[in-house]
Amino acid sequence: METLLNVAHGFGVALLPVNLLYCFIGVFIGTLVGVLPGIGPISAMSLLLPVTLSGTPESGIIMMAGIYYGSMYGGSTTSILVNIPGEAASVVTCIDGHEMAKQGRAGPALGISAFGSFIAGTFALIALMLVAPKLASVAIAFGPAEYFSLMVLGLVVLTFLTQGSMAKALLMACIGVVLGLVGLDSITAMPRLTFGRVELIDGIGLVPVVMGLFGIAEVLLNTEQAIKRDVISTRITHLLPTKADWKASAGPVSRGTILGFFLGILPGGGAVVASFASYALEKRLSKTPERFGKGAIEGVAGPESANNAAAGGAFIPLMTLGIPPNVVMALLLGAFVIHGLQPGPLLITQNPGLFWGIVASMYIGNLMLLVLNLPMIGMWVQLLKLPYNILFPLIILFTIIGVYCSSNNVFDVYVMIAFGVIGYFMRKLGYEPAPLVLAFVLGPMLENNLRKSLILSQGDLMTFVQRPISAACLALAVVLLIGPLLPALRKKRDMVALDEGA
Amino acid sequence: MSNDTNVKFRLSNSELWGGLIGLAFGGFVIWSGLKLKLGTINDPGSGYVLFYTGILICVFAATIIVSAVTEGGPTLASRWENTRWSKPLLIIACLTLFSFALDTFGFLLSAIPLMVLLLRVIDPVRWSLTIPLSILAPLGMWWALKHLLGIQLPSGIFEIG
Repeated sequence: METLLNVAHGFGVALLPVNLLYCFIGVFIGTLVGVLPGIGPISAMSLLLPVTLSGTPESGIIMMAGIYYGSMYGGSTTSILVNIPGEAASVVTCIDGHEMAKQGRAGPALGISAFGSFIAGTFALIALMLVAPKLASVAIAFGPAEYFSLMVLGLVVLTFLTQGSMAKALLMACIGVVLGLVGLDSITAMPRLTFGRVELIDGIGLVPVVMGLFGIAEVLLNTEQAIKRDVISTRITHLLPTKADWKASAGPVSRGTILGFFLGILPGGGAVVASFASYALEKRLSKTPERFGKGAIEGVAGPESANNAAAGGAFIPLMTLGIPPNVVMALLLGAFVIHGLQPGPLLITQNPGLFWGIVASMYIGNLMLLVLNLPMIGMWVQLLKLPYNILFPLIILFTIIGVYCSSNNVFDVYVMIAFGVIGYFMRKLGYEPAPLVLAFVLGPMLENNLRKSLILSQGDLMTFVQRPISAACLALAVVLLIGPLLPALRKKRDMVALDEGA
Repeated sequence: MSNDTNVKFRLSNSELWGGLIGLAFGGFVIWSGLKLKLGTINDPGSGYVLFYTGILICVFAATIIVSAVTEGGPTLASRWENTRWSKPLLIIACLTLFSFALDTFGFLLSAIPLMVLLLRVIDPVRWSLTIPLSILAPLGMWWALKHLLGIQLPSGIFEIG
């Protein structure tokens, strides 16, 4: 009953005209960046982070969340019609989605992708409503040791799942921690690594780092190759899947939803892992696995449901523990902090309007996305024809302005350009930026909780293993660190390794 | 990977260079941590986490170097093989020029030439589109920010914008 009252309260907040507008802007931009290859939700969210300052915290965060789950919908359109993933979580949709399109079944592929996403998104929201308050009440008992160990686990999981060498990913995570510590020490107020620059006293901004590593670096990488697009030119019809399509997709949608939701909750996991895991599961369960890769609708329905469910699940660790499980959630944490809010166990009780408002807006956003992605599909197809030699300079201009607006400081533009160049060379040498960014955000929290734990325990390191939750997190982190040394686990890691940065 | 692109002991091994840069950075972080004072385990100082993170960076960088020497890795040149490497290089040059010009000449006077350069560098756009787009895009954004959002972009020594 209490949950229903809270949901009603949430809808009261989400249905305010201004919040509806922000929600629409969010899902629209989300679909837009999802559709356009080369620009992902991370770039769009960091670009719009300063805009959230202009409204209430609810409006800003509703918009940011909309960009995230909106991009999950939009990404599939490009995968199906162009065979280029709009964003990383839609990579796997290319395999069967584009094959379906080539066979003249682009409509059902887009339709099942949108409906599957809607069903999964709805399930994830209901689960979020039920799970988050319970987990938050447990999380109140967490001390600095638990928080420290959870963050370590989150970073280790992400490095485990990052493509390529794990040593490189761990190196990136450590560099991220160091960059996060630039500025005044939160306990002693001593300036660290500021090189005498006043601009660095408050630390390096999240927006220039992310815009550089993901925005500018992505453009630099994309310009290396002449991008050829093979857009399906035939008219897209029959968007509503047939009875047979529904029958074939019901299982994959249900399994993808549940699997995606749980993978989304895990620190370091997220939509990309979920979509790959769902595809692998469906192929394994199928009686005719040979159809996969040749236009099997299950290969679209499962992963697309999974990535949307994961997007919903990822809100749980952020809202209840204050720990972002992936880079996108780290940016959302940035939006909370900009408004002077700290997500965590007390958020739901202290700011019920904010929490339930965001949850309710996500449901409304899912409905908006259904309309945006089915009847308006033609508009997105037209957008796919926009030439890249015009788009890339505009993206660079947007990033420069976005970064400047976030702080009214030219220094941040320099920082962004520097990180853009660094990010480009990092990617060329096989170093993924995702662990760096997550560690950059978690770094100060990690240090704070480590130092607090050591002070409280009077320097007794056993505090991390005597507390069960902390011990469990550290044990799992150790397993994942040692795991890749074992050939069997290394093979599994290579199979699920992902490129979060795309 | 062919033998030409996968080398072990040569200086052109890109993995080796990545590891060496990491090692140098780790050394710098350790030194910074020591300079900031480590404190004690009961009361960690400002350099405590930096110091230990620096050690971890050195360990991971050393792992990469060892692997580069024993298993080999692609050469630096092979990383840019069959790519239009001059394009990102030109964009980086444009952005560097822009960053020098931004504070001195202001947003409008530096963003318009930047757009012209970018539109002509990445798969050249025809001049009849380059010129209006280069002027209208920065001008439109400057106007929207100044008049709609009340954000002042840098106006430079000529105070334009």
